[in-house]
Amino acid sequence: MSGSIEIEVSNLQKIFRPTAGDAPVVAIDGLDFSISHGEMVAIVGQTGCGKSTFLNMLIGLDRPTRGYITIGGRKPYEEFDYFRGVLTTVFQQDRLLPWRSALDNVRLPLELLGRDPREQAEKARAWLDRLGLAQFVNAYPHELSGGMRQRVALARAFVVEPQLLLADEAFGHLDEVTSAALRRSFIELAVNEKKTAIVVTHQLEEAIEMGGRILVFGRPGHLLADIDLKKCTGARLASLRGDIQQMLESNAPNPDVTQLARKERP
Amino acid sequence: MPSVSEKDSSGSKAFAVFSGGESFRFPRETLVVIIAFIIVWEILAWLTPPYVIPGWARIYQSFADLRVDFIFVTLARVAAALLISFTLGLGLAILMYRSETFERYANPLVRLFMAVPVVCWILFSVLWFKWVEFRIAFVLIATCAPVFIIDCLDGMKGVQKDLRDMLRSFRPTTLQFFTKLILPATLPVIFTSWKINISLAIRVVTIAELVGAVTGIGYGLTVAQELFSVADVFAWTLVLVIILLLAEAVLGRIEERVLRWRV
Repeated sequence: MSGSIEIEVSNLQKIFRPTAGDAPVVAIDGLDFSISHGEMVAIVGQTGCGKSTFLNMLIGLDRPTRGYITIGGRKPYEEFDYFRGVLTTVFQQDRLLPWRSALDNVRLPLELLGRDPREQAEKARAWLDRLGLAQFVNAYPHELSGGMRQRVALARAFVVEPQLLLADEAFGHLDEVTSAALRRSFIELAVNEKKTAIVVTHQLEEAIEMGGRILVFGRPGHLLADIDLKKCTGARLASLRGDIQQMLESNAPNPDVTQLARKERP
Repeated sequence: MPSVSEKDSSGSKAFAVFSGGESFRFPRETLVVIIAFIIVWEILAWLTPPYVIPGWARIYQSFADLRVDFIFVTLARVAAALLISFTLGLGLAILMYRSETFERYANPLVRLFMAVPVVCWILFSVLWFKWVEFRIAFVLIATCAPVFIIDCLDGMKGVQKDLRDMLRSFRPTTLQFFTKLILPATLPVIFTSWKINISLAIRVVTIAELVGAVTGIGYGLTVAQELFSVADVFAWTLVLVIILLLAEAVLGRIEERVLRWRV
């Protein structure tokens, strides 16, 4: 895929039908928004608001019940193979393959793309080096700390130079210092590499620190607010956390926050 | 050969025998039991006629006179049957993993095969096939392949969803999905299955060889029984036990090396 990586989400719904006889569970109930190329977007919401369901549909692992998602005009579920090397994800747990060394874990996506073995090793080594893991290229995941493993997972996501980077609660399970350091690495890498990045998180501080745009999800899976952080001055930024918190608790939009919308929704 | 006495992980004393830089631990309790068994056996040999319990000197004589070629014949039969069983078992397990419909039909059949006693397979083989080697292979494969199928399938299904989703997010081909994730993740289960099947095959092959074979350890045992030679039976039994222990040790060493990534 070349050029812009505009994402369109239109009237998106996802309904799960657990087993015959059980009532259907609405996970996503009508999402409408778009994300421009190069944007840094944080999706926040309480547990059960459909953040991960949305991300799974964006990755193409799950099919929408109604509506659609397009990335650069193409549907990620229906045109699954088209997105090879285009989007990569950093998951909640590192999800490294335990039988592969750090280097071999990072080179995995390049292997899947059929790249030259020498190129695979060089690129994987360079990314591990960039993330401060040069000493640990041959270490197995169980020999690394949680933070180091997540950095290997970051390297694995960046090594194919994707156009779209996704992170699903990728930093929240680590201690505060490690989590903040990894988050900074992620933001820095995404900005430097001019990637479109979408980060799903339940931590408001994380979303605000990203400094781009915040999509607030209510339950079940609908948009409560679409906030452009660039519109926030110092004082407004200070009160924003409380406003979003209040919105999440009441599960209803807040007019003060809506004024910070990136653009008027139709 | 130097031997060092030290505590093993379970807290009991162990004798570490060093060879080639690696140590093989022999628990003290095992050694005590073996020595006690040898002594008790020898005492019983003194107290009973040699055709009931022969002494160690007589057993050693039988051991030295054993047909070595019979051992290799039996080993070749076991190795060939296990390789065929594994190939068949892994192949069918992959098909069952790929197709839920196929699994629904194949699973009851495999369970049914597993429930058939070995002696029935032997009788079927005698009634159905004329060629002795085929009879033996049939019995071994009918016994071992279902174990490989069930173990491999369970191993594949046990691969964490998190890892499957992670790999799928990189959009692998079906072949890559298996070679990069499913098969390496199933390796520990495959090793366990091999250990179970080696033990099973060595026990089954001797019974299968009773049916018309004129070579192999099973045939050697038949001859020993016809000659009413307890010493020969004991010697062949020792050979079988040693083969099994050696096979397990070799497999264990390979497993240790291949699965060194395990915590």
